[in-house]
Amino acid sequence: MNIPAKVTSPVAIGLRDLHKSFGPVEVLKGISLDAREGEVISILGSSGSGKSTLLRCINMLEVPDSGTIAVAGETIRLKMASGGKSRPADQRQVDRIRSELGMVFQSFNLWSHKTVLENVIEAPIHVLRRPRSEAIEEAEALLAKVGIADKRNHYPAHLSGGQQQRAAIARALAMRPKAMLFDEPTSALDPELVGEVLRVMRGLAEEGRTMLVVTHEMGFARDVSSRVAFLHKGAIEEEGAPHEVFANSKSQRFRQFISS
Amino acid sequence: MDIAFASETLMSLLSALPLTLELAVTAIAFGSVLALALALARLSGMLVLDWLARSYVFVFRGTPLLVQIFLIYYGLSQFAAVRHSIFWPVLREPYWCAALALMLNTAAYASEIIRGGLLSVPHGQVEAARACGMPRFMIFRRIVMPLAIRQALPGYGNEMMSMVKATSLASIITLMEITGVAARIISESYRVIEVFVVAGAIYLAINFLLTRLIAFVEYRLTPHQRQPLAIHAN
Repeated sequence: MNIPAKVTSPVAIGLRDLHKSFGPVEVLKGISLDAREGEVISILGSSGSGKSTLLRCINMLEVPDSGTIAVAGETIRLKMASGGKSRPADQRQVDRIRSELGMVFQSFNLWSHKTVLENVIEAPIHVLRRPRSEAIEEAEALLAKVGIADKRNHYPAHLSGGQQQRAAIARALAMRPKAMLFDEPTSALDPELVGEVLRVMRGLAEEGRTMLVVTHEMGFARDVSSRVAFLHKGAIEEEGAPHEVFANSKSQRFRQFISS
Repeated sequence: MDIAFASETLMSLLSALPLTLELAVTAIAFGSVLALALALARLSGMLVLDWLARSYVFVFRGTPLLVQIFLIYYGLSQFAAVRHSIFWPVLREPYWCAALALMLNTAAYASEIIRGGLLSVPHGQVEAARACGMPRFMIFRRIVMPLAIRQALPGYGNEMMSMVKATSLASIITLMEITGVAARIISESYRVIEVFVVAGAIYLAINFLLTRLIAFVEYRLTPHQRQPLAIHAN
Protein backbone atom coordinates (compact mmCIF):
# COMPACT_ATOMS: atom_id res chain seq x y z
CA MET A 1 0.00 0.00 0.00
CA ASN A 2 1.73 3.15 -1.20
CA ILE A 3 1.62 6.43 0.64
CA PRO A 4 -0.36 8.68 -1.71
CA ALA A 5 1.36 11.75 -3.13
CA LYS A 6 0.39 14.91 -1.24
CA VAL A 7 0.07 17.49 -3.94
CA THR A 8 -1.61 20.04 -1.75
CA SER A 9 0.17 19.68 1.60
CA PRO A 10 2.79 22.26 2.54
CA VAL A 11 6.39 21.67 1.54
CA ALA A 12 8.34 20.14 4.42
CA ILE A 13 11.70 20.16 2.71
CA GLY A 14 12.38 22.25 -0.35
CA LEU A 15 15.63 21.93 -2.28
CA ARG A 16 16.49 24.36 -5.08
CA ASP A 17 19.33 23.95 -7.52
CA LEU A 18 21.81 22.30 -5.15
CA HIS A 19 25.39 22.12 -6.33
CA LYS A 20 28.18 20.39 -4.48
CA SER A 21 31.71 19.43 -5.48
CA PHE A 22 34.36 17.49 -3.64
CA GLY A 23 37.57 18.87 -5.13
CA PRO A 24 37.32 18.46 -8.88
CA VAL A 25 34.41 16.01 -8.67
CA GLU A 26 30.99 17.57 -9.06
CA VAL A 27 28.70 15.35 -6.99
CA LEU A 28 25.47 17.36 -7.21
CA LYS A 29 24.74 19.20 -10.43
CA GLY A 30 21.77 21.37 -9.62
CA ILE A 31 19.17 19.30 -7.81
CA SER A 32 15.70 20.57 -6.97
CA LEU A 33 13.25 18.49 -5.02
CA ASP A 34 10.22 19.19 -2.83
CA ALA A 35 9.10 16.83 -0.11
CA ARG A 36 5.57 17.66 1.01
CA GLU A 37 4.32 16.87 4.47
CA GLY A 38 3.36 13.23 4.77
CA GLU A 39 5.26 12.17 1.69
CA VAL A 40 7.73 9.32 1.57
CA ILE A 41 10.34 9.89 -1.11
CA SER A 42 12.73 7.13 -2.00
CA ILE A 43 15.99 8.35 -3.46
CA LEU A 44 17.54 5.71 -5.67
CA GLY A 45 20.73 5.58 -7.63
CA SER A 46 23.92 3.62 -8.05
CA SER A 47 26.82 4.35 -5.73
CA GLY A 48 28.51 7.61 -6.57
CA SER A 49 25.31 9.08 -7.98
CA GLY A 50 25.23 11.66 -5.17
CA LYS A 51 22.18 10.41 -3.30
CA SER A 52 23.82 10.28 0.14
CA THR A 53 25.41 13.68 -0.39
CA LEU A 54 22.01 15.07 -1.32
CA LEU A 55 20.48 13.75 1.89
CA ARG A 56 23.40 14.99 3.99
CA CYS A 57 23.05 18.47 2.52
CA ILE A 58 19.53 18.75 3.94
CA ASN A 59 20.80 18.88 7.54
CA MET A 60 24.10 20.50 6.61
CA LEU A 61 26.33 17.53 7.34
CA GLU A 62 27.57 18.57 3.91
CA VAL A 63 27.37 22.22 2.98
CA PRO A 64 26.23 22.74 -0.62
CA ASP A 65 28.34 25.08 -2.75
CA SER A 66 25.22 26.82 -4.00
CA GLY A 67 21.46 26.46 -4.04
CA THR A 68 18.93 26.76 -1.24
CA ILE A 69 17.50 24.40 1.36
CA ALA A 70 14.29 25.23 3.16
CA VAL A 71 12.91 23.21 6.05
CA ALA A 72 9.26 23.91 6.90
CA GLY A 73 9.53 27.10 4.88
CA GLU A 74 12.65 28.37 6.65
CA THR A 75 15.63 28.80 4.36
CA ILE A 76 19.02 27.88 5.79
CA ARG A 77 21.24 30.92 5.43
CA LEU A 78 24.61 30.33 3.82
CA LYS A 79 27.55 32.66 3.37
CA MET A 80 30.75 32.61 1.38
CA ALA A 81 33.73 32.14 3.63
CA SER A 82 37.26 33.11 2.64
CA GLY A 83 38.61 30.71 0.06
CA GLY A 84 35.31 30.56 -1.80
CA LYS A 85 33.88 27.89 0.50
CA SER A 86 30.22 28.06 1.34
CA ARG A 87 29.41 27.95 5.06
CA PRO A 88 26.31 28.26 7.26
CA ALA A 89 25.82 31.91 8.13
CA ASP A 90 24.30 31.09 11.51
CA GLN A 91 25.36 27.88 13.21
CA ARG A 92 22.56 28.26 15.77
CA GLN A 93 19.99 28.20 13.00
CA VAL A 94 21.61 25.05 11.61
CA ASP A 95 21.62 23.38 15.04
CA ARG A 96 17.96 24.24 15.54
CA ILE A 97 16.93 22.94 12.12
CA ARG A 98 18.97 19.79 12.69
CA SER A 99 17.04 19.21 15.89
CA GLU A 100 13.85 19.32 13.82
CA LEU A 101 15.07 16.62 11.44
CA GLY A 102 15.64 13.03 12.46
CA MET A 103 18.55 11.29 10.78
CA VAL A 104 19.21 7.58 10.55
CA PHE A 105 22.62 6.44 9.33
CA GLN A 106 23.81 3.41 7.45
CA SER A 107 26.19 2.50 10.28
CA PHE A 108 23.68 3.31 13.08
CA ASN A 109 26.14 5.59 14.91
CA LEU A 110 24.68 4.97 18.33
CA TRP A 111 26.79 6.45 21.11
CA SER A 112 28.72 3.45 22.31
CA HIS A 113 29.21 4.64 25.89
CA LYS A 114 25.49 5.08 26.50
CA THR A 115 22.76 2.50 26.90
CA VAL A 116 19.92 2.32 24.40
CA LEU A 117 17.68 4.36 26.69
CA GLU A 118 20.43 6.92 27.31
CA ASN A 119 20.94 7.21 23.56
CA VAL A 120 17.28 8.00 23.05
CA ILE A 121 16.93 10.56 25.87
CA GLU A 122 20.27 12.32 25.34
CA ALA A 123 19.25 14.93 22.79
CA PRO A 124 15.67 15.50 24.03
CA ILE A 125 17.08 16.35 27.47
CA HIS A 126 20.14 18.33 26.44
CA VAL A 127 19.11 19.90 23.15
CA LEU A 128 15.36 20.29 23.57
CA ARG A 129 15.63 20.71 27.36
CA ARG A 130 12.73 18.44 28.10
CA PRO A 131 12.29 17.24 31.65
CA ARG A 132 14.14 13.99 32.22
CA SER A 133 11.15 12.00 33.44
CA GLU A 134 9.09 13.06 30.44
CA ALA A 135 11.93 12.16 28.06
CA ILE A 136 12.30 8.72 29.63
CA GLU A 137 8.58 8.08 29.40
CA GLU A 138 8.51 9.00 25.74
CA ALA A 139 11.71 7.05 25.03
CA GLU A 140 10.24 3.91 26.54
CA ALA A 141 7.14 4.25 24.41
CA LEU A 142 9.31 4.67 21.30
CA LEU A 143 11.48 1.68 22.18
CA ALA A 144 8.33 -0.38 22.60
CA LYS A 145 7.12 0.87 19.24
CA VAL A 146 10.28 -0.25 17.45
CA GLY A 147 10.18 -3.51 19.38
CA ILE A 148 13.24 -3.31 21.62
CA ALA A 149 11.78 -2.20 24.94
CA ASP A 150 13.55 -5.12 26.64
CA LYS A 151 16.94 -3.85 25.43
CA ARG A 152 16.68 -0.41 26.95
CA ASN A 153 19.52 -0.94 29.42
CA HIS A 154 21.82 -2.68 26.97
CA TYR A 155 24.78 -1.03 25.34
CA PRO A 156 24.82 -0.81 21.53
CA ALA A 157 27.72 -3.29 21.29
CA HIS A 158 25.46 -5.96 22.76
CA LEU A 159 22.71 -5.60 20.16
CA SER A 160 22.32 -7.03 16.68
CA GLY A 161 22.56 -4.67 13.73
CA GLY A 162 18.81 -4.66 13.27
CA GLN A 163 18.24 -3.83 16.94
CA GLN A 164 20.86 -1.08 16.79
CA GLN A 165 19.19 0.45 13.76
CA ARG A 166 15.79 0.33 15.41
CA ALA A 167 17.30 2.02 18.47
CA ALA A 168 18.73 4.66 16.15
CA ILE A 169 15.28 5.19 14.64
CA ALA A 170 13.83 5.60 18.15
CA ARG A 171 16.59 8.11 18.91
CA ALA A 172 15.66 10.12 15.84
CA LEU A 173 11.93 9.94 16.63
CA ALA A 174 12.54 11.16 20.17
CA MET A 175 13.28 14.60 18.73
CA ARG A 176 9.68 14.75 17.41
CA PRO A 177 11.12 15.60 13.99
CA LYS A 178 9.27 17.38 11.22
CA ALA A 179 10.87 15.00 8.74
CA MET A 180 13.04 11.91 8.85
CA LEU A 181 16.15 11.39 6.75
CA PHE A 182 17.27 7.80 6.17
CA ASP A 183 20.73 7.27 4.69
CA GLU A 184 20.79 3.68 3.43
CA PRO A 185 19.35 2.40 6.71
CA THR A 186 19.48 -1.28 5.77
CA SER A 187 22.69 -1.44 3.74
CA ALA A 188 24.87 -2.53 6.65
CA LEU A 189 22.48 -5.27 7.78
CA ASP A 190 22.43 -9.01 7.21
CA PRO A 191 19.59 -9.95 4.86
CA GLU A 192 17.54 -11.52 7.66
CA LEU A 193 17.73 -8.32 9.72
CA VAL A 194 16.64 -6.00 6.92
CA GLY A 195 12.98 -6.94 7.30
CA GLU A 196 12.63 -5.84 10.92
CA VAL A 197 13.98 -2.37 10.10
CA LEU A 198 11.86 -2.01 6.97
CA ARG A 199 8.76 -2.98 8.96
CA VAL A 200 9.43 -0.15 11.40
CA MET A 201 9.96 2.28 8.54
CA ARG A 202 6.78 1.18 6.83
CA GLY A 203 4.91 1.78 10.09
CA LEU A 204 6.30 5.32 10.24
CA ALA A 205 5.26 5.95 6.65
CA GLU A 206 1.73 4.81 7.41
CA GLU A 207 1.60 7.22 10.36
CA GLY A 208 1.95 10.01 7.83
CA ARG A 209 5.52 10.98 8.61
CA THR A 210 7.53 12.90 6.07
CA MET A 211 10.43 10.70 5.07
CA LEU A 212 13.34 10.96 2.65
CA VAL A 213 14.91 7.56 2.21
CA VAL A 214 18.13 6.86 0.36
CA THR A 215 17.88 3.15 -0.26
CA HIS A 216 18.70 0.16 -2.37
CA GLU A 217 15.53 -1.62 -1.24
CA MET A 218 13.48 -1.67 -4.43
CA GLY A 219 10.59 -3.32 -2.63
CA PHE A 220 10.33 -0.45 -0.17
CA ALA A 221 10.65 2.15 -2.93
CA ARG A 222 7.99 0.47 -5.03
CA ASP A 223 5.51 -0.53 -2.34
CA VAL A 224 5.74 2.16 0.32
CA SER A 225 6.95 5.44 -1.09
CA SER A 226 4.73 8.12 -2.54
CA ARG A 227 7.43 9.22 -4.92
CA VAL A 228 10.68 7.95 -6.29
CA ALA A 229 13.64 10.06 -7.38
CA PHE A 230 16.39 8.39 -9.34
CA LEU A 231 19.76 10.10 -9.28
CA HIS A 232 22.36 9.61 -11.95
CA LYS A 233 25.70 11.41 -11.96
CA GLY A 234 24.51 14.15 -9.66
CA ALA A 235 21.23 14.96 -11.39
CA ILE A 236 17.68 13.70 -11.04
CA GLU A 237 17.24 11.43 -14.02
CA GLU A 238 13.75 10.18 -13.23
CA GLU A 239 11.10 11.20 -10.77
CA GLY A 240 7.50 10.22 -10.22
CA ALA A 241 4.99 7.97 -8.53
CA PRO A 242 6.44 4.48 -8.10
CA HIS A 243 3.70 2.66 -9.97
CA GLU A 244 4.33 4.91 -12.97
CA VAL A 245 8.11 5.00 -13.06
CA PHE A 246 8.58 1.34 -12.23
CA ALA A 247 6.12 0.32 -14.95
CA ASN A 248 7.06 2.61 -17.79
CA SER A 249 9.99 4.92 -17.29
CA LYS A 250 11.27 6.90 -20.24
CA SER A 251 14.75 6.75 -18.76
CA GLN A 252 16.70 3.84 -20.11
CA ARG A 253 19.23 4.18 -17.29
CA PHE A 254 16.47 3.81 -14.73
CA ARG A 255 15.03 0.77 -16.49
CA GLN A 256 18.51 -0.70 -16.52
CA PHE A 257 18.99 0.17 -12.86
CA ILE A 258 15.82 -1.56 -11.67
CA SER A 259 16.29 -4.59 -13.87
CA SER A 260 19.82 -5.29 -12.60
CA MET B 1 69.52 -6.00 57.00
CA ASP B 2 68.87 -4.15 60.21
CA ILE B 3 65.14 -4.33 60.82
CA ALA B 4 65.12 -1.77 63.61
CA PHE B 5 67.03 0.72 61.47
CA ALA B 6 64.84 0.00 58.47
CA SER B 7 61.63 0.63 60.38
CA GLU B 8 63.06 3.80 61.85
CA THR B 9 63.96 4.87 58.30
CA LEU B 10 60.48 4.00 57.14
CA MET B 11 58.98 6.34 59.72
CA SER B 12 61.26 9.21 58.66
CA LEU B 13 60.58 8.61 55.00
CA LEU B 14 56.83 8.42 55.54
CA SER B 15 56.93 11.88 57.04
CA ALA B 16 58.08 13.01 53.59
CA LEU B 17 55.25 11.19 51.83
CA PRO B 18 52.83 14.15 51.87
CA LEU B 19 55.30 16.32 49.98
CA THR B 20 55.85 13.64 47.34
CA LEU B 21 52.11 13.19 46.89
CA GLU B 22 51.51 16.93 46.79
CA LEU B 23 54.09 17.35 44.05
CA ALA B 24 52.65 14.50 42.01
CA VAL B 25 49.03 15.56 42.40
CA THR B 26 49.77 19.21 41.62
CA ALA B 27 51.78 18.31 38.53
CA ILE B 28 49.25 15.80 37.24
CA ALA B 29 46.23 18.03 37.91
CA PHE B 30 47.59 21.20 36.29
CA GLY B 31 49.43 19.15 33.70
CA SER B 32 46.24 17.48 32.51
CA VAL B 33 44.60 20.84 31.87
CA LEU B 34 47.58 22.06 29.89
CA ALA B 35 47.74 18.69 28.10
CA LEU B 36 44.13 18.99 26.99
CA ALA B 37 44.78 22.51 25.71
CA LEU B 38 47.84 21.27 23.79
CA ALA B 39 45.93 18.34 22.31
CA LEU B 40 43.13 20.64 21.19
CA ALA B 41 45.67 23.02 19.70
CA ARG B 42 47.16 20.14 17.74
CA LEU B 43 43.72 19.18 16.43
CA SER B 44 42.43 22.72 15.94
CA GLY B 45 43.30 22.77 12.27
CA MET B 46 44.88 26.19 12.84
CA LEU B 47 48.44 26.12 11.62
CA VAL B 48 49.85 28.52 14.22
CA LEU B 49 48.33 26.70 17.19
CA ASP B 50 49.29 23.33 15.74
CA TRP B 51 52.92 24.29 15.36
CA LEU B 52 53.13 25.98 18.74
CA ALA B 53 51.85 22.80 20.37
CA ARG B 54 54.11 20.61 18.24
CA SER B 55 57.19 22.64 19.20
CA TYR B 56 56.25 22.59 22.86
CA VAL B 57 55.83 18.83 22.86
CA PHE B 58 59.06 18.37 20.93
CA VAL B 59 61.10 20.46 23.39
CA PHE B 60 59.64 19.05 26.59
CA ARG B 61 59.71 15.43 25.47
CA GLY B 62 63.12 15.78 23.92
CA THR B 63 65.01 17.19 26.89
CA PRO B 64 65.67 15.58 30.29
CA LEU B 65 63.32 16.48 33.10
CA LEU B 66 66.34 17.12 35.32
CA VAL B 67 67.62 19.74 32.88
CA GLN B 68 64.19 21.35 32.86
CA ILE B 69 64.15 21.48 36.66
CA PHE B 70 67.60 23.07 36.73
CA LEU B 71 66.68 25.61 34.08
CA ILE B 72 63.56 26.66 35.95
CA TYR B 73 65.08 26.70 39.43
CA TYR B 74 68.57 28.07 38.74
CA GLY B 75 68.08 29.51 35.28
CA LEU B 76 65.05 31.76 35.67
CA SER B 77 66.44 33.57 38.70
CA GLN B 78 69.32 34.86 36.56
CA PHE B 79 66.95 37.23 34.83
CA ALA B 80 66.19 40.47 36.63
CA ALA B 81 62.90 40.68 34.79
CA VAL B 82 61.82 37.40 36.40
CA ARG B 83 63.02 38.46 39.84
CA HIS B 84 61.01 41.65 39.61
CA SER B 85 57.91 40.07 38.09
CA ILE B 86 54.76 39.13 39.97
CA PHE B 87 55.71 35.47 39.52
CA TRP B 88 58.83 35.75 41.65
CA PRO B 89 57.21 34.83 44.97
CA VAL B 90 56.23 31.57 43.29
CA LEU B 91 59.35 30.96 41.18
CA ARG B 92 61.56 31.64 44.20
CA GLU B 93 60.19 28.56 45.94
CA PRO B 94 61.89 25.26 45.09
CA TYR B 95 58.54 23.52 45.59
CA TRP B 96 56.82 25.53 42.88
CA CYS B 97 59.81 25.28 40.56
CA ALA B 98 59.72 21.49 40.84
CA ALA B 99 55.95 21.37 40.49
CA LEU B 100 56.13 23.66 37.46
CA ALA B 101 58.81 21.57 35.76
CA LEU B 102 56.92 18.35 36.43
CA MET B 103 53.70 19.88 35.20
CA LEU B 104 55.19 21.27 31.99
CA ASN B 105 56.88 17.93 31.35
CA THR B 106 53.87 15.70 31.97
CA ALA B 107 51.68 18.00 29.88
CA ALA B 108 53.85 17.30 26.84
CA TYR B 109 53.52 13.53 27.17
CA ALA B 110 49.90 13.56 28.25
CA SER B 111 48.88 15.82 25.36
CA GLU B 112 49.88 13.09 22.93
CA ILE B 113 47.95 10.50 24.95
CA ILE B 114 44.85 12.71 24.94
CA ARG B 115 45.26 13.49 21.26
CA GLY B 116 45.30 9.76 20.57
CA GLY B 117 42.13 9.37 22.60
CA LEU B 118 40.40 12.21 20.77
CA LEU B 119 41.40 10.79 17.39
CA SER B 120 39.98 7.39 18.33
CA VAL B 121 36.42 8.72 18.69
CA PRO B 122 34.42 7.29 15.78
CA HIS B 123 33.43 10.06 13.39
CA GLY B 124 29.96 8.59 12.93
CA GLN B 125 29.11 9.11 16.60
CA VAL B 126 30.12 12.77 16.34
CA GLU B 127 28.04 13.09 13.19
CA ALA B 128 25.02 11.56 14.94
CA ALA B 129 25.37 14.17 17.68
CA ARG B 130 25.55 16.93 15.09
CA ALA B 131 22.48 15.58 13.35
CA CYS B 132 20.58 15.90 16.64
CA GLY B 133 21.36 19.59 16.71
CA MET B 134 23.94 19.48 19.49
CA PRO B 135 26.21 22.54 19.53
CA ARG B 136 29.95 21.95 19.25
CA PHE B 137 30.82 22.32 22.89
CA MET B 138 28.00 20.01 23.96
CA ILE B 139 29.22 17.36 21.53
CA PHE B 140 32.70 17.71 22.98
CA ARG B 141 31.46 17.48 26.56
CA ARG B 142 28.81 14.77 26.17
CA ILE B 143 30.17 12.54 23.39
CA VAL B 144 33.79 13.16 22.42
CA MET B 145 35.41 13.60 25.83
CA PRO B 146 33.78 10.59 27.54
CA LEU B 147 34.81 8.33 24.64
CA ALA B 148 38.31 9.82 24.44
CA ILE B 149 38.96 9.46 28.18
CA ARG B 150 38.07 5.77 28.08
CA GLN B 151 40.54 5.28 25.27
CA ALA B 152 43.30 7.38 26.81
CA LEU B 153 43.08 6.05 30.35
CA PRO B 154 45.54 3.11 30.11
CA GLY B 155 48.19 5.33 28.55
CA TYR B 156 47.48 8.10 31.00
CA GLY B 157 47.94 5.63 33.85
CA ASN B 158 51.50 5.03 32.68
CA GLU B 159 52.16 8.73 32.61
CA MET B 160 50.80 9.26 36.12
CA MET B 161 53.06 6.54 37.46
CA SER B 162 56.01 8.13 35.71
CA MET B 163 55.14 11.40 37.43
CA VAL B 164 55.05 9.80 40.87
CA LYS B 165 58.56 8.50 40.30
CA ALA B 166 59.75 11.72 38.68
CA THR B 167 59.00 13.66 41.88
CA SER B 168 62.21 12.12 43.23
CA LEU B 169 64.18 14.51 41.02
CA ALA B 170 62.87 17.39 43.12
CA SER B 171 65.35 16.32 45.82
CA ILE B 172 68.09 17.79 43.62
CA ILE B 173 66.76 21.29 44.26
CA THR B 174 66.67 20.87 48.05
CA LEU B 175 63.15 19.54 48.42
CA MET B 176 62.81 17.08 51.26
CA GLU B 177 60.43 14.66 49.64
CA ILE B 178 61.00 10.91 50.01
CA THR B 179 64.19 10.70 47.97
CA GLY B 180 65.52 13.90 49.51
CA VAL B 181 65.04 12.57 53.02
CA ALA B 182 66.52 9.23 51.97
CA ALA B 183 69.64 10.96 50.68
CA ARG B 184 69.99 12.88 53.94
CA ILE B 185 69.68 9.71 56.04
CA ILE B 186 72.32 8.00 53.90
CA SER B 187 74.72 10.88 54.27
CA GLU B 188 74.32 10.55 58.03
CA SER B 189 74.33 6.75 58.30
CA TYR B 190 76.11 5.50 55.14
CA ARG B 191 73.56 2.67 54.94
CA VAL B 192 72.57 2.82 51.31
CA ILE B 193 70.79 -0.50 50.93
CA GLU B 194 68.30 -0.20 53.80
CA VAL B 195 67.38 3.37 53.01
CA PHE B 196 66.91 3.00 49.29
CA VAL B 197 65.09 -0.32 49.61
CA VAL B 198 62.62 1.32 51.96
CA ALA B 199 62.33 4.41 49.72
CA GLY B 200 61.78 2.21 46.67
CA ALA B 201 59.13 0.23 48.54
CA ILE B 202 57.20 3.40 49.30
CA TYR B 203 57.13 4.42 45.62
CA LEU B 204 56.09 0.88 44.77
CA ALA B 205 53.24 1.06 47.27
CA ILE B 206 52.04 4.41 45.91
CA ASN B 207 52.07 3.10 42.36
CA PHE B 208 50.35 -0.11 43.39
CA LEU B 209 47.46 1.91 44.79
CA LEU B 210 47.53 4.11 41.70
CA THR B 211 47.26 1.13 39.32
CA ARG B 212 44.33 -0.23 41.34
CA LEU B 213 42.65 3.15 41.24
CA ILE B 214 43.11 3.47 37.48
CA ALA B 215 41.90 -0.08 36.90
CA PHE B 216 38.82 0.69 39.00
CA VAL B 217 38.05 3.89 37.11
CA GLU B 218 38.57 2.06 33.81
CA TYR B 219 36.19 -0.66 34.92
CA ARG B 220 33.54 1.85 35.91
CA LEU B 221 33.87 3.79 32.66
CA THR B 222 33.60 0.84 30.28
CA PRO B 223 30.41 -1.09 31.06
CA HIS B 224 29.76 -1.15 27.30
CA GLN B 225 32.85 -3.27 26.73
CA ARG B 226 31.80 -5.92 29.23
CA GLN B 227 29.42 -8.77 28.70
CA PRO B 228 25.90 -7.71 29.66
CA LEU B 229 25.76 -10.12 32.60
CA ALA B 230 24.84 -7.61 35.24
CA ILE B 231 22.30 -5.88 33.06
CA HIS B 232 18.70 -6.86 33.53
CA ALA B 233 15.68 -5.94 31.54
CA ASN B 234 14.89 -3.36 34.13
